[in-house]
Amino acid sequence: MLHRRVLQFLIIYTLGLTLLLVVKYLLNLSDYVIPSPESLINTSQQVFSRYFGDVMDTLLVAIIGQVVSICLAVLVGVLGRQTTWFGSFIKVAAYNVQAYPIVAIAPIIFILLGDGFMSRLLIAAMICYFPLLLSILGIMSEPVVDVEHFYRITGRIRWQLEIKIRAFENIHKLTTVVSGSATLAMAGTIVAEFMAANAGIGYSIRIALYQSDLSRIIVALFLIGISLSVYQGLLEFSGSWVKKTWASA
Amino acid sequence: MLLACRHITLKYAGSEKYVLKNFGFEIDGPGFHALFGPSGVGKTSLARILIGSISDYDGEIVKRRIQSILYSYNMERLPGWSNVGTHLDRITPSAKRDLKDEMVNAFGLASFCSQRFSQLSLGQKNRINLIRYLVQDFQVLIMDESLANVDEITREKILLTIKDLFPDRCFFYISHNVLEVSKFCEHIVVIRDANKQPQAHLIKGQNFSNGHPLDKNAYEKTMLEIMNAS
Repeated sequence: MLHRRVLQFLIIYTLGLTLLLVVKYLLNLSDYVIPSPESLINTSQQVFSRYFGDVMDTLLVAIIGQVVSICLAVLVGVLGRQTTWFGSFIKVAAYNVQAYPIVAIAPIIFILLGDGFMSRLLIAAMICYFPLLLSILGIMSEPVVDVEHFYRITGRIRWQLEIKIRAFENIHKLTTVVSGSATLAMAGTIVAEFMAANAGIGYSIRIALYQSDLSRIIVALFLIGISLSVYQGLLEFSGSWVKKTWASA
Repeated sequence: MLLACRHITLKYAGSEKYVLKNFGFEIDGPGFHALFGPSGVGKTSLARILIGSISDYDGEIVKRRIQSILYSYNMERLPGWSNVGTHLDRITPSAKRDLKDEMVNAFGLASFCSQRFSQLSLGQKNRINLIRYLVQDFQVLIMDESLANVDEITREKILLTIKDLFPDRCFFYISHNVLEVSKFCEHIVVIRDANKQPQAHLIKGQNFSNGHPLDKNAYEKTMLEIMNAS
């Protein structure tokens, strides 16, 4: 699971890099436009440890933001699963709000909260929150009729049991959604850093962009990709471990 | 009279076709009865009306001395987080533990209680599912093809056990097996297409149980009556 994720990333990264180099040599572009392999190796030796620290900083913010989003999405998803007016209200509100591009609100957050940790965290959480919420709402609102019928007709159904049944039956979907939302949280954090923050890999990419230094950006992309692959692989592993443990309890 | 359905008419929203039209029958008391008819004539819809999950119908349901109607069907599943034995223990009231054990043995499931529901065969799944309903408090239990995928010998044993253990309860056994309903059921409500009136015919079955011999001629006559009525 973990190694597959990393391998997939390495294949895609290598293909992308090869394509760039093919374009470079076909069109005879200078190292300034697309760096040579030697330039890439030199740059990676120079910036690797600093960028690695930046990526870890970004990943930490993304993970905290994702955890906050998951907690909030589960809470709202559980409340919104009901067929009451309140549940319907939450569902309609969630569908409408998620249609708005959250990243457009980011400047307001930077103006109000400054360019520190909180702004990055909030933007990361907001960007991965709505897709998570919609998925969790969908899973929690969908009755597992074949399992729930007995509890319902014998008057044994409780909200905790209902959630347990739906979560158990959809554990694979939930794992996929949580794993997928890691990408969104990371993207949200990088976007926030790219816009106005003063730390993280997004901030370093912004500086590299201003210097038109594509080799630094390519090194940063490698570190972002590999870190995210490892994190998603660990999430998927945790999901399958939870399912296995739960199913054999 | 225990249960009566009078002039029940049902048409699902958005559909022009009647599922039940001026449908009615009356059951006097407890016993093992059948709802019989081809697929799509409204047996499951009638069951859902009786348990109250369909309320958008015309007509009247009269219940006397009935506090609880349960409905079990053959596609139900037990939660996968525990084995079937643990699940049965959890949902069985303490006063009915012995009854549960007796049925587990009689239904031939004693050696499967340590397994997960997903590991059982279809017939075993249906038997386990039926047991968890039988250990609940009910006056009426609707068994919607609850013994599908169970072999005939085991099915006969199960039906006779149910009749022995629950003589004071009312069962509606939904089945497509004319031999079975003719033999084991006290009354057979034969349900026909809603275009045919009357939509229901009540036919007396052989009500075969332990200690009562089966009159083969009467049994054949019942089967013919059912076939003619359907």
